[in-house]
Amino acid sequence: MTAPVLEIERLAVSLGAFALRDISLTLAPSEILVLIGPNGAGKSVLLETIAGFHDPAAGRIRIVGRDVTRLPPERRRVGFMVQNYALFPHLSVAGNVGFAIRARPGAERIDVGRMLERFGVGPLANRLPHDLSPGEKQRVALARALASRPSLFLFDEPFAALDARMRETLRDDLRQFLREAKLAAIFVSHDQSDVHVLADRVAVLHEGALQQVGSVDAVFSRPANRHVADSTGVENILSGAAARRLTPGTPDATLCLRAEDVDVLPGGARPESGDGVISLDAVVREVVRLGPVARVTLDCGFRLVAALPRPEARGLTERTPATVRISRAALHVLSGVGAPGG
Amino acid sequence: MTPRPVGGSHGVFLAGWLVGSLLIGFILAPLVGLAATQSPGVLAAVAAMPDVREAIGLSLAAAFVAAALASAAGVPLAYVLARGGFRGQSALAALIDLPLAVPHTVAGIALLLVFGRRGMIGGPAEHLLGLRFWGSFAGVVVGMLFVSAPYTVNAARLGFESVDPRLEQVARTLGVGPWRALVSVTLPLAWRSVMIGMTLTFARAISEFAAVAILAYYPMTAPVKIYELFLQQGLTQSAAVALLLLVVSLALFLVFRLVAQERVATGIGR
Repeated sequence: MTAPVLEIERLAVSLGAFALRDISLTLAPSEILVLIGPNGAGKSVLLETIAGFHDPAAGRIRIVGRDVTRLPPERRRVGFMVQNYALFPHLSVAGNVGFAIRARPGAERIDVGRMLERFGVGPLANRLPHDLSPGEKQRVALARALASRPSLFLFDEPFAALDARMRETLRDDLRQFLREAKLAAIFVSHDQSDVHVLADRVAVLHEGALQQVGSVDAVFSRPANRHVADSTGVENILSGAAARRLTPGTPDATLCLRAEDVDVLPGGARPESGDGVISLDAVVREVVRLGPVARVTLDCGFRLVAALPRPEARGLTERTPATVRISRAALHVLSGVGAPGG
Repeated sequence: MTPRPVGGSHGVFLAGWLVGSLLIGFILAPLVGLAATQSPGVLAAVAAMPDVREAIGLSLAAAFVAAALASAAGVPLAYVLARGGFRGQSALAALIDLPLAVPHTVAGIALLLVFGRRGMIGGPAEHLLGLRFWGSFAGVVVGMLFVSAPYTVNAARLGFESVDPRLEQVARTLGVGPWRALVSVTLPLAWRSVMIGMTLTFARAISEFAAVAILAYYPMTAPVKIYELFLQQGLTQSAAVALLLLVVSLALFLVFRLVAQERVATGIGR
């Protein structure tokens, strides 16, 4: 087993009224961790603390085995990538990359030209950042960060200001770069699609505390609590009578059910509840197309949301009767912190 | 990008121009009038007078020193104010603006009480360093500095505020210390604002009369000289010197503005 690139041990940071509490986290070599959570959860503060911009009140941070808890940012060797990439506007593309090379004079001298070629921005060497497209900016920023020979990358919502299409292109580029460079990274986002495209593991932060860390599948299908369910976009969080109908054996449970795990058949089909499958009668209340899938809102005595490709092909339109089929395995009982009333 | 008037706001824009041009005329008329009434002969004659040249030279030299001192102390202060986030920050900003609100005769008297022979600073300075502020070059500089320093601090502060602090953060993570990040990233980007502040300070320093006249009537700066000529010899001579000072200071003002613009053209600043 290889040593972790990043080890955070019981980290606490106090910033006025806000605090990060008891954060423990490790990052394996070449692992990409996507950190999600609502606005104000402390995602940026955590990244800035790893980068060295806030003094922790308690805890340790180790990067490649070296304790950096009290080291200034310039001695931590992290690539810090922010929204719009913060290229230095007064320096050319070559100047930006050269800045990083000169900042860390080392035994192995990196050549600016070769670095630019590697990222396909060689012909742009003399351009100023405001003349670059978002994609070019990202490449220059990656070249610049890599030139300072970082041990890991920290991304603080770099795509936040971009439109959806540009976001997708840049994200694909970035994924390719991170896979090829085999560098570990923490990527802060509040967009779930970033998780699916980039993440090896995902961590959920809420009000300064980590709620759950795990594989994408584990966190998305078995959220540890209500906060994680909200952050991972679980559409159906059911309690009270609705929960009792689905799991008669567990009173007062709060259930999570992802919309894609709800199957909907036309009303006439009427299959029975059986081994591991629950069938419910329902009426279609609303159908909204969201790109390749549609969000179908159903009334089965309680409100339920399903995500289906082409619901009209199944004869599902508004006010038509339907049968809902739910696999028992897809039902996840929420517990602990953040459950309603808890 | 300057927004253009859109969707029926042309009327508002036109009214703005009409009213605004009254102010433009009000500013230009006396200056053009001053230039139009002077014959080249009188102008040449006053330009040849040694005491007039001395007064203009002194004004320029003292204003230059005042601008240099204002930026040496004012630019760091501007950075602290821009990046601060500390208690009493707005009170401090208001304090910096105080010299702009105080009548300059009041400023002159206050400065005389502190920098004069028996003043809190003037006394020890003369005693220990042999530095006299009353009726000296140093006194002229002090009078100018007091009334003009806020321009440097305010312009530089706006410049620093317009530089995204994340640029400095990224520079740090790339491996430079806080000083180098400041000098190689933030300062070049705020440079144009700093230059504009220095230019305004220089221009304001040259034009100061009251504070300088009270603290250091001698050696005579150009505005004091103009005032004296006006009292002793009337309008003709004083107006000629006034025009001469106007031409010299406007020329310098333009040169400084051009230098600041030049930095923009090469991509420095915004």
